[in-house]
Amino acid sequence: MSAPTPTLALKVMRSTVRRPARVGFTIAVVVLAVMALAAVFAPFIAPYDPDQVDFSAVYASPSPAHWLGADALGRDTLSRMIYGARTALLGPLLVVIASTLLGIVLGLVAGWRGGWLDATLARIFDVLFAFPSLLIAIMAVALFGKGLVAPVIAMSIAYSPFVARLTRQLVATERSRPYVSAYRVQGFSGAWIAVRRVLPNVAPTVGAQSTLNFGYVLAELAALSFLGLGVQAPLADWGAMINEAQAGIAGGYFLPAIVPAVAVVIAVVAVNVIGEELSDRIGGRTPA
Amino acid sequence: MNAPARPDQSPLLDIAALTLRLPAPKHGKGRELLHGVDLTVAEGETVGLVGESGSGKSLTARSVLGLLPPRADVSGTVRLDRTDVLTAGRAQLKRLRLSAAAMIFQDPRAGINPMRTIGDHLTESLRLGEGRPRAEARARALELLEAVRLPDGEHHLRQYPHEFSGGMLQRVMIAGALAGSPRLLVCDEPTTALDVTTQAQILDVLAEQRDRRGMGMLFITHDLTLASAFCDRVYVMKEGAVVEQGTASRVLRRPEHPYTQWLVAATPTIEVNGDEPGSDGSGERGSGERGSGERGSGAPAPVLEVHDLAKTYQVRGRGPVRAVAGATIAVPAGEALGVVGESGSGKSTLARMIVGLEQPDSGSVSIAGVAQTGTPRTRAERLTHARLIQLVFQDPYLSLDPRISVGRAVEDALRLHHPGLGTTEARSQVLGLLGQVGLVDAHAQALPRTLSGGQRQRVAIARALAIEPAVLVMDEATSALDVSVQAQVLDVVSAIRRDRGLTVLFISHNLGVVRTVCERTVVMRSGEIVESGRTVDLLTDPHHPYTRLLLDSVPRAEPDRVA
Repeated sequence: MSAPTPTLALKVMRSTVRRPARVGFTIAVVVLAVMALAAVFAPFIAPYDPDQVDFSAVYASPSPAHWLGADALGRDTLSRMIYGARTALLGPLLVVIASTLLGIVLGLVAGWRGGWLDATLARIFDVLFAFPSLLIAIMAVALFGKGLVAPVIAMSIAYSPFVARLTRQLVATERSRPYVSAYRVQGFSGAWIAVRRVLPNVAPTVGAQSTLNFGYVLAELAALSFLGLGVQAPLADWGAMINEAQAGIAGGYFLPAIVPAVAVVIAVVAVNVIGEELSDRIGGRTPA
Repeated sequence: MNAPARPDQSPLLDIAALTLRLPAPKHGKGRELLHGVDLTVAEGETVGLVGESGSGKSLTARSVLGLLPPRADVSGTVRLDRTDVLTAGRAQLKRLRLSAAAMIFQDPRAGINPMRTIGDHLTESLRLGEGRPRAEARARALELLEAVRLPDGEHHLRQYPHEFSGGMLQRVMIAGALAGSPRLLVCDEPTTALDVTTQAQILDVLAEQRDRRGMGMLFITHDLTLASAFCDRVYVMKEGAVVEQGTASRVLRRPEHPYTQWLVAATPTIEVNGDEPGSDGSGERGSGERGSGERGSGAPAPVLEVHDLAKTYQVRGRGPVRAVAGATIAVPAGEALGVVGESGSGKSTLARMIVGLEQPDSGSVSIAGVAQTGTPRTRAERLTHARLIQLVFQDPYLSLDPRISVGRAVEDALRLHHPGLGTTEARSQVLGLLGQVGLVDAHAQALPRTLSGGQRQRVAIARALAIEPAVLVMDEATSALDVSVQAQVLDVVSAIRRDRGLTVLFISHNLGVVRTVCERTVVMRSGEIVESGRTVDLLTDPHHPYTRLLLDSVPRAEPDRVA
C-alpha cells in the first residue's frame, strides 16, 4: 500500500491560521521571575526584617513607611510577603523536581518494558491516585510532625504518578515508532535507546506537565501552612500569614490576609499560564 | 440515459488564468501557489491532472468547488456550468455543490463520520439537501450502492465505516458523490491509498458511471500512466503551472515538455524493455540463464536463506491471523530479490522477521551462513547481527529520530560499530557516506524535518550503509516518495549495488519498481508465496492466476483509446 501523501492544499489550509504568541505568557513569565528574584534577594529588597515587631504599627494602613500595611504585631506585610515567597516557592520547587525525577524513572521503566512490570506499576499509581495529595501530606504531618519536610516528601510521592503516567504513555507511543525500530536494527541496546533517545524526545511534554504541577503544589502547600501544619510561625510564609491574619479579619483588618492570598493566586495563575502555553507549543499534547 | 455532450460551445468546467497567492505570513513573503492555470472539461469528458506533490493539482481541483484556503488571494475565473465559482454567493455555491459538481478524495476514511452508518451518510444530503422523504432517500441510496457494485445494499446501509475496507469505503464515497447526479465529478487521487487490484475495481466503477451518466470528470493523480489509461485528455502540472496538455496517449507516448519527458522516463512501468537488472547478460554479476521458477544450481551460495518461515498473530476477539506461512526464499550474493504483494499479504511481516524485529513461530533464517536464533542478548551479538542485515523503512518521516541531525544519526551508527574511530575520522566518513547517497556536507547539520522525503530516505540508506551490512532490506522504501524522487533513490540503490555488490531484499507493492531493481521476484498473497522466478519471466509469462490478476490490474496506456 502506498502511503497517502498529504496534499499541499491541505497543508496550506492548516498552516494559514497561526496563533499569535500570547501576551499573557510574557506577563506570566515576568511575574514569576520577579517573584523568584524577590525570594532569592529578600534580605536586600525587603524594607524591614520580617519578624521585627513594632507595636506602634499594629494593623497599620498602607503608608510610605509600610507600603502594604502591617499585621497584628506590627510586622511589615510587604517584607513578610517577600520573605514568604522563599518558602512558598521553594517547597513546590523541591516537590516538582523530586516528583518529576521519580515519575520519569517509573514511567520510563513501565512504558519501555511493558508487560507485568507496567501492569504492576499502573495498579500502584491507581492506588496513589485514589488519595488526594493533600490528604497524603496531612497524614505525613500526623506521622512525622509539623514542618515543611514531611509534606514535601509526601507530596513528591503523591505527585509522581501524574508524571509517571504521562511519561509511560508517551514512552509507550514512542516505542512503537519506526525510528526506535531503526535504532534496534542498527544494534543499539534497549537501555541506550530508552535513556539517550526516547527520554529526550518525551521530556518537553513531561516538563510542561511538571510546570502545571508546580501551581497545584504551591496552592496545596499554602493550604497546609494555612491549616497550621506546614510552615510554622513565626517564619514568614504566605499560607501561614493568612492563618495568622484570620483574627484580624473579624476586627475589619483585611489587608494582612488579602496580600498573601493575592500573592498565592497570582503565582498559581502565572504558573498555569506558562504550563499551558508550553504544552500548546510542544504540539497540542495537553497533559492530563 | 442522459444526453451526452450538448451542442454548447461553453465547456462544463472552464478554469482560466487561475492564480492563487497566499498572503505573507508574519515573517517571509507570500507564496504564489498557482500561476495562471488554464483548464477545461467538456460535458462527458474525462480530464486527467497529473503532477507531483506540491505541483498545485489539488488546489486547482478544490477551486472547482470553491474549497480554497481562507484569506488566499485568488484571481482568474473558474466557471462551472457557466457560473463563476470564485465570485459566486453562498446560495449559488450551495446549488453548484449540490447538483453541478461533486468531489471524492484520496482518503475515504477521513471524509466519513465514523460514528454514523453508511445509510446515514448516503441519505443525509438527499434528505437535507434535496428535501426528499426518508423512504425515497433510502431507495435512492440503495440504487447508488448498486451502481458502485456494493452487492448487499440493505445490509450495508446499517453498517459502520470501520466494517468496510478502504476500497469499499471509496465506493461509498463515490455513491455519495453521485447522489446529487453531478455533471462533473472531481476525483482527487481516489485510488492512491488502495491496492492495485482494488484500484482497478474502483476505476471500473468510475468508468461505468461516467459512461452511463455522461458525466464530465476531472481526475487528479500523481501517476501519469494511470491518467493516460483512464482519461481522454491530460494536463501536466509543475510548481503551480500547467506545462503540457494534450490527448492522453500523445502526452505519454510523445511528451513535448522536458518535464513531462523526464516524468515519463522516471515512471517505472511493468513493460519489459531490456533495461532490467541481469536481463541483458552484461551485468558483472553474470546471473546467467536460469529456468523460470526454479533455483539455479550453479548460482553462488545464497547470502540470505529463509526456510519455511511462519508467523500467526493472535488478535483479541478475531481469532488467529496468519501473517506469513511457509515462506522460503534464497537470495544469492549481490542479487536483489523483490517481494511483491498487496497490503495484508504478509510481506512486511516477512521483512521484519528476517531483520529480527519479530520472532517467527517456526522456520529458520540464515544470513551469510549464520543461523539467526532468537533476540540477540549481548552487545557483541547485537552488533554482529546488525552487520549481517540492515533495514530501510517505508516512511522516512518516521524512521529518523526527529531530534537528531542527520549527520549525527549516521555518525551514531558508525561509531557504534567502530568504537575506536576518532572524531575527525568519523566525521569525514559520515560526509563520505552522505556523498554516496547524493547529499552534500550542508545536509549533515540538518534536522530530518527540514529535509524532503527523498533526502530523508537517502539518509536512512546512508545510515544503513554505515554499518556495512551483508544484506539490505528495503521495506516499501520508495512508496511514500514522488515519482521523480523515487527515481533518484532507486538510482542511489543501484549505484550502491554496483559499487559494493550489496545483496538486497526489496519489498514493494509496485511491480514497475521491482522490475527496475530486482533480478528475481516472489509474489505473496495472504501470507503465502504463490509464485517466484526471474522478474522478467514473471512479468512476461506469469503462471499463477494471482500474478496474472496483479499484472492485469496495473494501468497501462492504450495507444489508440477512443474517447
